Amino acid sequence: MESATVALGHHAEEHHGPPEANQSSRIDKQTLGILLFIVSEVMLFGAFFASYFFLRVVVSPAAWPPHPYELPVPVAGVNTAILVSSSFTVHYALESIRRGNREGMKLGLLLTWMLGATFLFIQINEYVHLGFSARDLSFGSIFYCLTGLHGAHVFVGLMLLSFATIRAFRGHFGPKAEDHLGVEVPGIYWHFVDVMWIIVYVTVYIL
Amino acid sequence: MYGRLPIVKMLAAIVALTAAISAVMLSINWDGQEASTAASKIDDLLNVMIVISSFVFSLVVVALFYALWKFKAKPGDESDGEPIHGNTRLEIAWTLIPTIIVLFGGGYSWKVLDEIEKPAKNPLTVDVFSQQYAWSFGYPGKGNVWSQGELHVPVNRQIQFKMHAQDVIHSFWVPEWRIKKDNVPGITTTAIVTPDKVGTYQLVCTELCGFGHATMRAKVVVEPPGQFQKWVAGLKEKVPQPLAESVVQDTETNPAPLSAGGA
Amino acid sequence: MLAAIKRPGWTRGALGALAFAAFGFGLVISLRAISGLPLYQTEQTGYPHVIVPLILAPLGFLAGFGCFDYWLRWAAGAPTIPDDHSQHGAKTWKDYFRFNTDHKVIGIQYICTTFFFFFVGGLMAMLIRAELAQPGTQIVDAATYNSLFSTHAVLMIFVFVIPVFAGIANYVLPLMIGAPDMAFPRLNALSFWMLPLAGILFIGSFLAPGGAFDAGWTGYAPLSTGAPLGQSFFNLGVQFAGASSILTALNFLVTIITMRAPGMTFWRMPLLVWANLSTSLLVVAATPFIAGAQFMVLLDRLLHTNFFQFAAGGDVVSYQHIFWFYSHPAVYIMMLPGFGIVSEVISTHARKPIFGYRLMALALLGIVVLSYSVWAHHMFVSGMFSWLRVPMMLTTLLIAVPTGIKIFSWLGTLYFGKIHTYSTSMLFALAFIVTFTIGGISGVMLGMVPIDIHVTDTYFIVAHIHFVLFGGSVFTIFAGIYHWFPKMTGRMYDEKLGRVHFWGTLIGTWGTFVPMHWIGMDGMPRRVADYASQFGNWNLLISCFAFMLGAVQLIFLYNMIVSWRFGPRAPANPWRANSIEWQVSSPPPIFNFDEIPRVVGGPYEFGVPGARHAIMAGEGAEVPATEPSVVGSP
Ligand code: HEA
Ligand code: HEA
Ligand code: CUA
Ligand SMILES: [Cu+2]
Repeated sequence: MESATVALGHHAEEHHGPPEANQSSRIDKQTLGILLFIVSEVMLFGAFFASYFFLRVVVSPAAWPPHPYELPVPVAGVNTAILVSSSFTVHYALESIRRGNREGMKLGLLLTWMLGATFLFIQINEYVHLGFSARDLSFGSIFYCLTGLHGAHVFVGLMLLSFATIRAFRGHFGPKAEDHLGVEVPGIYWHFVDVMWIIVYVTVYIL
Repeated sequence: MYGRLPIVKMLAAIVALTAAISAVMLSINWDGQEASTAASKIDDLLNVMIVISSFVFSLVVVALFYALWKFKAKPGDESDGEPIHGNTRLEIAWTLIPTIIVLFGGGYSWKVLDEIEKPAKNPLTVDVFSQQYAWSFGYPGKGNVWSQGELHVPVNRQIQFKMHAQDVIHSFWVPEWRIKKDNVPGITTTAIVTPDKVGTYQLVCTELCGFGHATMRAKVVVEPPGQFQKWVAGLKEKVPQPLAESVVQDTETNPAPLSAGGA
Repeated sequence: MLAAIKRPGWTRGALGALAFAAFGFGLVISLRAISGLPLYQTEQTGYPHVIVPLILAPLGFLAGFGCFDYWLRWAAGAPTIPDDHSQHGAKTWKDYFRFNTDHKVIGIQYICTTFFFFFVGGLMAMLIRAELAQPGTQIVDAATYNSLFSTHAVLMIFVFVIPVFAGIANYVLPLMIGAPDMAFPRLNALSFWMLPLAGILFIGSFLAPGGAFDAGWTGYAPLSTGAPLGQSFFNLGVQFAGASSILTALNFLVTIITMRAPGMTFWRMPLLVWANLSTSLLVVAATPFIAGAQFMVLLDRLLHTNFFQFAAGGDVVSYQHIFWFYSHPAVYIMMLPGFGIVSEVISTHARKPIFGYRLMALALLGIVVLSYSVWAHHMFVSGMFSWLRVPMMLTTLLIAVPTGIKIFSWLGTLYFGKIHTYSTSMLFALAFIVTFTIGGISGVMLGMVPIDIHVTDTYFIVAHIHFVLFGGSVFTIFAGIYHWFPKMTGRMYDEKLGRVHFWGTLIGTWGTFVPMHWIGMDGMPRRVADYASQFGNWNLLISCFAFMLGAVQLIFLYNMIVSWRFGPRAPANPWRANSIEWQVSSPPPIFNFDEIPRVVGGPYEFGVPGARHAIMAGEGAEVPATEPSVVGSP
């Protein structure tokens, strides 16, 4: 047994970097990482949805939204459409760079960014005009927290997209799979933000 | 290839150890005095669990010490053990047997739970009000009179306690009754007890409720029905208006009418 | 001077913290001024001008310390600096106080930091026991007492047990699977540096007006929503500790899935790797729930939202559901890595393959799945839906089955082995089996609703907690520390002192926590500074054992420090183990391997003639690798 023990220590100093790690799965690190991060984000929303369930179903107030509060369902619907369309533009950006179309990528990223910013602007505008605050009943609290939590995610998504956009305009990224992870990973996150909004919108505004 | 284990002797040792531990453990009255119909049922369940647990514990201990005694390496012995990777039959056995044991325990507990929570025909309802750091009690069937810091109940009659907390969560526990229930602000919780021994006990708050938590106690008197009637009749004060209102607002699941007003 | 400000490090970190805090303070004050509010809000729970800087200062520190430098350059599209590996390895002790991306350095940073918090938390336990030694007030008043056990538990759980396992795994896991480092080394360093910040917030709450948080480690609303400022420190600290453990878990998962050495299929991974895989699954999916719960409490306190305010339609019990949906899985987050450590130690010192390896791995996954379905067993008397009690009871009881599989398989591993007990790690592993079994059995009793109705919130629970957490988790932590001490430091520890520590800890644990079962059943509630005099003698006995337990921990501390400095040099593989980390020098070379090893067999093939686990670079190619290089992709 002892003979099988090989001490490799003394060679180490001669090397200038770590050995290349073995890639033991088809999925690459960044993509897997962002997917796991999204799992954990989904659970964070899950905690607030759980709270929503308790406040609305378990406590079961007489009316929801409670009298006299109202939610601007159509405006938010338009806003939903804006956000959903940005999923397509970010997909377009990714497809473009896959085919080597740098201009398409830049356009797609810019459009996505602008759509996202518009969404956020309309959302804040909605807050200003709602006429109730997070202090008004549990309804106000959970409304602002669910939509606000989502808004914060849009904000983070916009930051990631800005990084990708800046880099795109500075000439980074290429058609090879490992050369456009910087577009793909924010893109995955952005899709998640969109899907999450659909769930939030349906639960909070429509149901 | 490798030797056989003295299964019979080991089993005998396990049984002997189980018997010894159980004998000692069962001879001690762990939970203290029993003073409600639920208490003996819960204690029986506990005793059954003590025997089962002694068995599981003995099994682990005997198996461990036998291995330590029998398979300890001699000083200087550098060789390896037998390359045994597993034994499917054994593995199935130690998956199935614990499953059966815990399912039995689960079924038994379920039965006990059903029995101790069965509502009787003619229960006495008592409102329990808890606040930092005091208990008070209302008797809705007796003109809603109330008593502060002292609970009286008749013996051998089922009591349904309706609990209301005013500020934070408290918990209602009379160890001799074996029954405990949280008092939650905004909802009414219920505990069912049938005291079956006359005596004086202590009501203990068991949910952390602030710096006075340790001293949030009340006196509990279980007395014959006649004496109880006399005591209630002697109560002059009624449950104060705000508390009585909070009782109306509380429901089992619904804290307060939501449209009633802002924060 | 200017150079020191520009260079990432402590100076820039301190400046960053100050700058961010000042910014937050200014923001709050000016916003309040604009809105025409009084500048400071100092009613009990508010203090926005303290809370906002408290959120921002740690971020400022992290930014100044250099945690984000690389990413910011990357984000701006600036040319990235080629890695000169100056953030790798540690040449002097000072390197442990820098932003370091080497998983081995980070592992040691974790272990030392968390043990610091263990001793602080332990000191608080000593104060608790001093107060409880006799009925009546001994040394602290009731409010301080509540702060003491709350901070005791929070330090032990959030900045000791959970992260120390992350530290041990950080050190050994990449070596074990033949990876040069973790998947995301910078993220790894960031996760570490969030941890001391969380700990400082927890301990710092003692400085808050009104004292440290005192609503228990569970922080039930509405007690917590109305508590003084210290409670907010808890709410915030949990966010940092939680973010740290989520990011580490994510890192472990990606490392395990994508960076295994050629030939290392899932069924050839050491059980420690399996255990960390399972734990990480729990962390990634469960921890956001406590983040959410503490956010809601913070908002109720700071912005006066109504999540838990029943008068405005809030739901008090919902806090407990959300909290326990994390905190029950959390108890397995604190146990599964220990199961992994014990498997390594027992197999090595019994010189035998793990009995039923595959079932062992599956049992881990079984516990992961089941542990999401039992949270309400902490709420049997809470006034939640009464129909939920029986289903939760049954799932709770079923957890005994996969756990039993593990206990029995370790016992099976011992049979027909050659058991060596010269190592303190093995002693702790064996003692763990018995002690944890008792804690588990008391857990099963608690799972039975009628029994739980009687004993919940009594010292019976305190007994259960410490049997599983001290006799379970902490014993395995000690086993792990002793086991890998030679690998981590390149020195041997003193076995004699190790033995004294072991026996003292074993006797201390049993002596302290066994009698708690009894006083609990007999009527002593938990979380009380004062108690009925009938329990006086028992408590005195408990306190005496507790002081002894505390005292022997000092022996451990001494042994570790002195051996690290002066111990005899450790060989590469003092325990003659098979897994890869033992095939490199002690301590391992800076980049772990010259070349990634090839894995050709299971990790525990003791006694199998000619069997090998891994072939290291530079060894003859005479043993052919039978596996293709990409295997077991999920
Ligand atoms: C490491 C941490 C850890 C671990 C592993 C466990 C493991 C278990 N716990 Fe524990 N628990 C805590 C930490 C832990 N717990 C803490 C901190 C609290 C208190 C929180 C607070 O309120 O502050 C708590 C509270 C707690 C409660 C709530 C009590 C209350 O407040 O009223 C319950 C109730 O069901 C429970 C049950 C269990 C069960 C069934 C297990 C099972 O997983 C145990 C399984 C193991 C075995 C059973 C032993 C080995 C098995 C065999 C040898 C097989 C054969 C066995 C049988 C057939 C029985 N625990
Ligand atoms: C991993 C978790 C962990 C660990 C390791 C411990 C370790 C210890 N715990 Fe703790 N404990 C909890 C988790 C843990 N605990 C939890 C979750 C609670 C519930 C809190 C709540 O209700 O909210 C709790 C609550 C709790 C209580 C109940 C408080 C109450 O309900 O009123 C008590 C009382 O005795 C206690 C005691 C101890 C003791 C004596 C130790 C000892 O094992 C500690 C030994 C270690 C040391 C002592 C440190 C080393 C030595 C020094 C620093 C030098 C000083 C030494 C001397 C002066 C002798 N703990
Ligand atoms: Cu009321 Cu504790
Ligand atoms: Cu639990």
